[in-house]
Parts: sequence; C-alpha cells; structure tokens
Amino acid sequence: MGPGPAKRTAPEAGEASGGAPAPDGPGAPDGPEGPGPAAAPPGPPAGADPVQDAEPGFEEAPEPPRPRTNTAVALVVTAFGAVGCLGSWSLGPGTPAEPAAGTWPLVVCAVITVLGCVLLGTARRTADTEAFSAASWKILAGIGTMAGFIALIGTIGFEIPSALLAFVWLRFLGGESWRLSAVASVLIVAAFYAVFVGLLSVPIPHLF
Amino acid sequence: MDSLAPMINGFGVVLEPTNLLYCLIGVVIGMLVGVLPGLGPAATIAILLPLTFGIEPVTAIIMLAGIFYGAQYGGTITSVLLRLPGEASSVVTVFDGHVMARQGRAGTALGIAAIGSFVGGTVSIVALSVVAPLVAGFALSFGPPEYTVLALLGILLVATVGNGGRVKALVAAGLGLLLATVGRDTFTGAERFTFDSLALADGLDFVPIAMGLFGIGEILHNLEQRHRAVSGAVKVTNTWPSRSDLRQSSGAIARGSVLGFVLGILPGGGATLASMASYALEKRRSRTPERFGRGAVEGVAAPETANNAAATSSFIPLLTLGIPANATMAVIFGALLIQGVPPGPQLVSQEPELFWGVINSMYIGNILLLIMSIPLVGLFVRILRIRPAILAPITVLITLVGVYTVRNSVFDIVLVVVFGALGYLMKKFGFEPGPLVLAFVLGSLLESSLRRSLLLFDGDALGFATRPISGTLLLLLLVVVLLPVARMLWSRRTAPADREKTRTGA
Amino acid sequence: MIHTPRRRYARRTAAAVTAVGLSLSAAACGGNLSSGGGGGGEDYPRGPIDLLVGQDPGGSTDLIARALAEGAQEPLGVAMPVINTPGANGALAAGELAGQEPDGQSLMVINASLIAITPLAVAGDEVVDLADFEVVTGISRDDYVLVTAASSDFDTLQDVVDDGDGIKYGTTGVGTGSQLAQELLFAQAEVEGTPVPFDGGSPTLVAVLGSQVDVGVVQIGEAMPQIEAGELTPLATFADERNQYLPDVPSATEEGYDVLVSQYRAVVAPGGTPQDTVESLRSAFGEVFASEAYQAFNEDNFYTPHETEPAQVAQEWGASLEDYRAMVEEYGIDMRGEG
Repeated sequence: MGPGPAKRTAPEAGEASGGAPAPDGPGAPDGPEGPGPAAAPPGPPAGADPVQDAEPGFEEAPEPPRPRTNTAVALVVTAFGAVGCLGSWSLGPGTPAEPAAGTWPLVVCAVITVLGCVLLGTARRTADTEAFSAASWKILAGIGTMAGFIALIGTIGFEIPSALLAFVWLRFLGGESWRLSAVASVLIVAAFYAVFVGLLSVPIPHLF
Repeated sequence: MDSLAPMINGFGVVLEPTNLLYCLIGVVIGMLVGVLPGLGPAATIAILLPLTFGIEPVTAIIMLAGIFYGAQYGGTITSVLLRLPGEASSVVTVFDGHVMARQGRAGTALGIAAIGSFVGGTVSIVALSVVAPLVAGFALSFGPPEYTVLALLGILLVATVGNGGRVKALVAAGLGLLLATVGRDTFTGAERFTFDSLALADGLDFVPIAMGLFGIGEILHNLEQRHRAVSGAVKVTNTWPSRSDLRQSSGAIARGSVLGFVLGILPGGGATLASMASYALEKRRSRTPERFGRGAVEGVAAPETANNAAATSSFIPLLTLGIPANATMAVIFGALLIQGVPPGPQLVSQEPELFWGVINSMYIGNILLLIMSIPLVGLFVRILRIRPAILAPITVLITLVGVYTVRNSVFDIVLVVVFGALGYLMKKFGFEPGPLVLAFVLGSLLESSLRRSLLLFDGDALGFATRPISGTLLLLLLVVVLLPVARMLWSRRTAPADREKTRTGA
Repeated sequence: MIHTPRRRYARRTAAAVTAVGLSLSAAACGGNLSSGGGGGGEDYPRGPIDLLVGQDPGGSTDLIARALAEGAQEPLGVAMPVINTPGANGALAAGELAGQEPDGQSLMVINASLIAITPLAVAGDEVVDLADFEVVTGISRDDYVLVTAASSDFDTLQDVVDDGDGIKYGTTGVGTGSQLAQELLFAQAEVEGTPVPFDGGSPTLVAVLGSQVDVGVVQIGEAMPQIEAGELTPLATFADERNQYLPDVPSATEEGYDVLVSQYRAVVAPGGTPQDTVESLRSAFGEVFASEAYQAFNEDNFYTPHETEPAQVAQEWGASLEDYRAMVEEYGIDMRGEG
C-alpha cells in the first residue's frame, strides 16, 4: 500500500453534493476485481461504486456537511481573492488591449473572489471537508521536523537532520520501536549518502 | 528522406557493441533518475556531461537520449506508487495510477504504463523517421497566438480532468494561475508577488509545488488517518495487466500515440499538454467517465503513451532545426556542441550517421526499457509492502533531498514544505491538487503567449481569428466547449419523445 | 515492553534533549561542509573547487564554465565541479558566492549583462556590484547579432532603417543585451518598433525563424547554424569591429550607430580572496586558454577570446554600465517595457 491508506472524501460532483448519504456498496470483495472494475452501468447510482469498495478496511460513511468549516474556508478564499485583487491593482491594472504587469493577476483574483462568494453560498450543503481531530497534532510535529531539517541543513549538512527526522517519524509519528527507529534512521541516511553524494555527486551540504 | 540507405546504415551504427552498451547504460540511468523525484533528466545529463568527453558523439547522444526517455518510464513509478509526480508530464498519471495502486493493482498500472510507453515511443520514432523535416517546418508556424489558444484549451481540459467539486477545482486552478505569475514579469521587469525575495525573482518551479502538494501533502494527511484505518496491506495481486485490461486500453494507447507525437513537436509545453489532452480525450470519449479518477486503466494508459510519444517527438526540432524544445533538449544541444557537432538544419545532411544512429537507438532503447520493466515492476510493487510508518519518512526525505537537486537551492526545500502544508489543508477541505498544478504549468504559457499576441496584433484581438492556424484552433476550442452543451440540449429534445414512448409502450 | 507512564515520559525527554543538544553543538562548531574550508597559501587548493554558474545547464555560460572546469583540473590538480544555481540572470549565484569563504575554493562564472545591463531594469537593492568580488580573469566575448528570416523583405540593416516603421522585434527578455541593443539601435535610427520579449534566446530564435516577429537579436552562437543553413539573414553585429565568424556582416558602429553591446564572461571569487590565490587561479586558467581543446571549443561555439586582466574587466564593465545608463536616459528608453 502506498504511504498509508487514505480515507476517501466523498467527491460527488459539486452540484449533487449533500444529498442522502451514500449507502455502503455490496460487501467488499476480497482483493480487487481482476480485469479492471466490474462493468459499470452507464451512470452508476450514487454510492454503489464497485471500484471504490474494492478498498478493504475503510469506513465508507461519507462526511456530513460542516457549515461552519465550509463558511470559514469560503471566507478565506474570498479574502485571499480580495487581497490579491488589491495587490494586482497596485502593479498596474492596464487595459485589455494593453495589459500591464497586474492585468492578468487582477483577472484571476477577481474570479477567485467571485468563486469564494459562490462557496459561501453553498456552505451549508457541501460535504467534502473533514474535521480536525486529536491526531492533527501529528501534522504539526511532522511539519516541525521538516522545518528543523531546513534550519539545520545549511550548518551541519543533511546527514544529522535527516537521521533526526527519520527517527522522529518512525518512533513518535509511526509508533515503531526504539531500536527499529534508531537502526532504520541510520540505514536510511547511509543509503541517501551512498546514492546522492556518492553516486550522483549532488552538491548538497554534507558533513562527512 | 531521400533514400533508405542512411536509415539502414543507422541501424548498423546502433548495433555496434559500444553503442548498444551505452544505450543500455543510458536507459538504466534514466529509469533510476526518473524514479528519484526531483532529479530530472536535464540535471542528470548535465552531471554526466563530463563522461561524454571521451567518447564518440554518436555514442554520447545515444546515451543521453536514453536517459531522457528512460526517465519518462521511471517517473511513472513514483507517480503510481508514491503519488509523487517527478515531472509535469507525470501529474496526470497520478489521478488513476495511484488509486489503482491503493486498490492493489499497482502491477497493472505500471505494466500498462510500460506497454503504453513502449508503443507510444515506437510509433513516435517511426513517424519521426518518415515525416521529421516536414513537421519541423510546421512547428515553426506556431507562434504566440497559436500557443495562446492551445493553452486556453489546456485550461479548459483542466476543468474536465478533476473529479471533485467544480467550484473548488476552479478555485484551485485559479490559485495555480496566480502562482504562475510570481516572479519578474517578462514584459515589464516588474516584480510580482515576490515580497522582495531574490529567490522568487525567477518565479516558482513546478517540482516543489507538485512534490509538496502531492507527496508531502498526502503523507501529512495520512498521519492523521493511520489510527483510524484498519492497518493491513492490501493484497497485491496483478503483477501484470490482464488481457481485458489491454483490450480496454488499446484505443487509449492508439490515440495517445498520435496526440503525443503531434503535441511533442511544439517547442515548450508539449509533453504535459499531451498527457492532459489524451486523458481528457479518453474521459470524454468513454461511456463511463465516472470511472476516471477511480482507477480506470485507460486513465494510466493514455497519458503514459502520450508523454512518451511527445518526449520522442520533441527530438525533432532539435535534430532537424537545431532548436531545443525543452530544458532537456537544451542540455543535449549543449552536449552536441561540446562534441563539436553543432545542431542545426544541416545536421541531417552533414551527419546522417549521427542522426539515424540516434533515432534508431531509440527503438532499441524502448525495447530494452520494456524488457527491463517486466521484472522491475514486480520489484517496485514490493515497495508498497513496506509498512506505511517506515515508508513515510523515506518518502519525506526523498522529497526534501530530491527537490534540492533541482536548483541546488535550500529555498526550494522551504517551498516544498510550505506546499506540503497547503496540500494537507487542501485535502482536508476538499480541494484537489491536480487542477492547481496543471493550471500552474499552463498559466504562464497562457499569459505570456496572450500578451505577446496582443503586442503582435497591436492590441487587436481579432487577430486570433484571422490567422489560419489559430483560427482553426479557436474553432476547435469552441467545439470542445459547446459540445457538451449541445449534447445536453439534444438529449432534452429527445427525452420528451422517450417519455412518450414509455407512456404508450408500458 | 511495559513502561510506567512516568518512565516513558522521562525516556522521551532524555532522548529529545540529547538529540537537540547534539545538533546544537554540531551547529555551534560551525559545521565543516562539502568542499572543505581552510585559506589559501602554499597548500592551495585544498580540495575540489566549486565553480558556480547562475544559469541553467546547457546554456552558453554553463558550457563555457564546463569547458574551463574540464581544462583546469590538470593545472590545479583538483576536481572542479560545476554547480548550477540558476535565478535572476545570475544574481542568486552571485549572492551565494558572496557568502562563501574567500579562500579560493568557490568561484563563479559571471555574465557582463548582470553587471552592466540588468541594473538598468531592476530595483536598486537587487543590483550586483562587481566591486564586491575579486575578478580572476576575463574569459570571452559572445557577440549579439540582429537577424531576420531569410524569407523576409529585409536584406540589410539599411532596409530595416528605411522601411522598418511598425516592425515587431523579438528580445530575449527585459534587462538583456538583446533588448538594449535593439532599443538603442532603433532609437538612434528613428525606427518605430514594438519590442516583443521572449524567455531567452531559443524562443526568440524560433519566433524569428517562423516570421512571427520581423527581426530579433540573439547571441551569435545560437544563430550561426541557422545562418549557415541559409534560414536566417544576419543584418548587423554589435561589437566595435566586425565579428570574426561573420566577416561580411557590418557592425552597427560601422553603419553609424553608437551601439556597443556584447556579452562578456569572467571568473570571479568572493571579495577578499588573497591575491596569491587569485594569481594561482589566473595562471591555471591561462593554461586552459592556451590549450588546443579550449581554443577549438571557442571556435565551435563562436566565442571570441577576451582573456583580460582583472583590472581591465572591472574597468570595461563599469564603463559599459555608465555608457548604457547615459544612453538610455538620452533616448528616453524605458528598459522596463512599455506601459
């Protein structure tokens, strides 16, 4: 499996979002169907998607609409568009026949602002956002390790920050044992060194 | 071509043991380079240039060419297995390819990609041998107005390929277009959205954005999910596509080859546009378009065929006109110069052995790649068996180090982390990264072509319609836009008739 | 293994503290990274010398750097890896070089256009000043040539001057020699034209070949294969004398226009690099310049050798900047494009 099974958000076509929650499809078959998805009838009924159900081990319940989150997101988009419009205007709006540096960004930001308003209007109905959970702190930790990597790589090379990052991910974010984490971190860095510095002579800052 | 003799001599050149060996070396290196996200063929060729000093020009170019199209094969592997597109032309493969991997059909995805790539590459080489000089001249008639319309077509296609909410896809695309404007404006020198950072003066690069949004974003998102999902590796079956998979994809492969060949000849933007166009074409042609984005095998076959065909045909402008069509061609251009073989319109007549030697080596290279893929697919698929907890930090580190190799810049690592955070947030809130990345690639092409066209037309937009090629493309654009509308109106007109039938029939 | 919560917490903290402590102490030592430290002097060079290039691989500057690096390995006795740090026409690489130790272990191949032309088009704090660096040696000159498609109506420069009103001329971007040369030429010749900027030499060349624009200026190395094949007609060059590879093409000065724009390249080291290090490098590069392989490289790529002393480089480039500034003001040229 790829980097962790991902829960599928319900990507219904924007207009048809919300509606009745899709029922769980027929019992997930063991493993995927051989020759591609079972012949899907033209326009399958919402939810009875044999391809999707081929992923075992998932909760299939789609997300409920979250009006508050959606409104917040829509506001962010609209605000971003508006700020962008202002920034583009200051670059010089120009005219359609003689565009200036800011003409195109202005058009794009204007469209984004309008779309943000549309999102605001449909905030009650859209059902493709997820909530933050207790595990969300892991994200911050993950980003923190990457920030640490960036901060240290210029001064002490990539070996130590990489090893630390791998260790933190393995032990704390991945729940592996101390020994495995430590050993794996060292091995990973050694492999990277061999490939990037040894084989490819990439001029990445390195200590050894 | 005047006679078949030079072409046949070319095979003689290729089959010399040294050249065969270097061809093999090239495609192997290329495949490995393609697997490593970030380190692209252009950078690799640059690193390996010193190695080419001591060998014959033909041999050197055979190896370098092998690296290039070998990298296309390799790029698919990370797209499918790790959701990390290393090149702009592999982004579209992610849509269905990675889903197939999560369904345990990674082998099918990689296998059909290998087959499609082989067919696309071979068709392209054959076409190249036959029509190279003719189409090269045609490529020159593509000026800014034509590129504008093509880019517009591309942006429209972007809306088609997504699967999620339309409005959010458009917002993502808008953000992509905006990100493309960052940097020093080519036309006025004004700094746009650079916040006084010199590193942003040349604008953002595709690789940090794509790797951040797709790779790091996905990994961060999975951190949250892990404890919820039942951890258990999906049973990995299908280490090779089945016969019905092949049958299903045959149309996609055929159409992708042609589309890729045609679009690859255009300097700048060929392979990406080709992969998107072929994906969108298949999705529209299909009677069951909702399968796309959920593991449709054509969704992998089409773009992979097209991007390999385009990669091969992008040699045409270089070898027949001496004009490099993309960054990798520019490095190969440099390599030729170093070897004392200046590429130009006279290359074909002055150095027929080199020309045909290189072209014919591509047949061999493609065959070698296909043969190598067979065992390698099984090997790579095993990577998916590694526990996600272990694979995650490895992928993160590959991304961080890999992105550094693009411009030897720590700033790019910062970018990839920033976009990783953005990718996570986008996934949380229902925005798809695909439209953003594709719009980013097309956005700068669209804006600069549009502004150049207006300069050429002295501000008169009617010029788009009066030029023959851009006029034709505009018509095509209108057809593409209006067709679904027409179809809808048509079905509404026939629907009442059906209702009549059911009423009377029942 | 069963740990009581308190013990587990203590373990975690201990490990974290150790890790942070190690990193901090390593960082405090200043790190000893990639291509080693140490000053110049008797045992110079102390290991591989990095040669920075502010352009993408495969371009002219990059190729010149690689040719130099290849040849310099023997006289210097160490490897010279070429490191591409593209961005802002070399400003990024220049910034990086400035941050390196002035010990001769980092060098850069720099373009004259970054020093003499880009400042005319960008904000003050982004200007790169040659005085911040130690020039090691000049390398070569790459001339610009005004070209048009063979099928166009223009056969000579005079044709353009006579009939050129309303022409569209392709430039390789804002702040480039291509733009400056054409702006100056057309201002002096009183030709009304519209500049159409492209992203670099290659797209400009394509546009001229396809007659998308009427004329364009690109570097001679890029245009030569097309000129030799008869696809392009060269109209003028922009050095003070005719270019040796195009003996039949007049220079703009010869035709009465005061337009002297060429691309030069030089090797620079961070400011403060000791003189004897600079001297060792100069003589090493001198050996490369004299070698047959390098001279053949120049010929194949149409570069004119210009292997001058550091002082001359600084003087020439500084003078160019001043001249251009004066001319741009005189003719009211806005390098930042129309509108």
